[in-house]
Amino acid sequence: MSDIASFNERQLDAIKEVGNIGTGNAATALSGLLSRMIHMDVPETELVSIYELAEHYGDPMQIVGAVFVRSLGGFQCSLIFIQNEEDAKLMVELLLKQQFGTFIPVDEIPQEMTDSALTEVGNIVLSSFLNAINILLGTRHQISVPGVAHDMLSSILDVVASIYGQMGETALLVNTELSAEGLEDGRKISGHIILIPDPDSLELLLRKLKVL
Amino acid sequence: MAENTIVLGMADLMVIRAPVKLVTLGLGSCIGLVVYDSTARVAGMAHIMLPSSRGLMGSEKIGKFADTAVPALIDAMEKQGAVKSRIKAKIAGGAQMFALPGMSADFLTVGAKNVSETKKRLALLRIALIASDTGGNKGRTIEFSTSNWMLKVKTLGKGVSEI
Repeated sequence: MSDIASFNERQLDAIKEVGNIGTGNAATALSGLLSRMIHMDVPETELVSIYELAEHYGDPMQIVGAVFVRSLGGFQCSLIFIQNEEDAKLMVELLLKQQFGTFIPVDEIPQEMTDSALTEVGNIVLSSFLNAINILLGTRHQISVPGVAHDMLSSILDVVASIYGQMGETALLVNTELSAEGLEDGRKISGHIILIPDPDSLELLLRKLKVL
Repeated sequence: MAENTIVLGMADLMVIRAPVKLVTLGLGSCIGLVVYDSTARVAGMAHIMLPSSRGLMGSEKIGKFADTAVPALIDAMEKQGAVKSRIKAKIAGGAQMFALPGMSADFLTVGAKNVSETKKRLALLRIALIASDTGGNKGRTIEFSTSNWMLKVKTLGKGVSEI
């Protein structure tokens, strides 16, 4: 595999562009789902120490909802869609209102309903992300069934450490945030997408992007 | 004497004399391994991330892999006056945070491999593993106190248990 530490600015920027294309498509999908304008942050390619993953994203003990999918094919990678607990619940409240015209206050929504709605939303967001980047790269891909977890941020991110830990101490991640604004009382719902390329797919990625 | 609380991060490994409280937050597939000799009043903890170093030890932290962490921890215990035959071990962690039906990948089941490799390494050194809370799909926060040599395991939605 390529040595992550030796990647130059041009290569990291090219990878960031992949994040940009993916996020754009994911934002469109989420916008359709929530019937809301979605704001997207400019994605960042980041080199993160596998020992400080949770700290990099927030409070390690924070309770979050996370959807994980794996993409197999030309460019193998994993993706996580992650939301803090309150945002996940707000999103379910909004979805229910949107799709069925029913209102259930956030604190009365059962956990199973939040998990299943988060799985659906995460799956749509991440599939859209993957479709766009595979079109860009000219690769074929298959997406796994999504896995969902509701737990401490630190426990959830162990999966990233497991992917990168066997080859070194640094993970190459593409991070971006989507948020829906303009909710009735000025509330905002955010979700974070983390693209985790398989370490041995990085070389193919750089070659497809013509920066290797 | 009041206990000092020491929080161990990913791949950290530490041995210290009582009284002390050793804490690790939010273990997912990682393992929290506790060893102690209550007579010598020495305790240690390691936050293990992966089962095997596969001989690839560069600048890596010694606590990162089960195959390097277990011997290093026992070695450090003996240096602090612990007697090997008296050392007892407890472990927690090794969950599988995400299950993807129909998909197999090494990193998805690394929790179970961490558990089996840690147990194997303890057995090789003839260290008695007297309690464990491993597997499942929930994260754990652990706290080991030398006041009663018990390991408190907190799991989201399941409360606290002592092993």
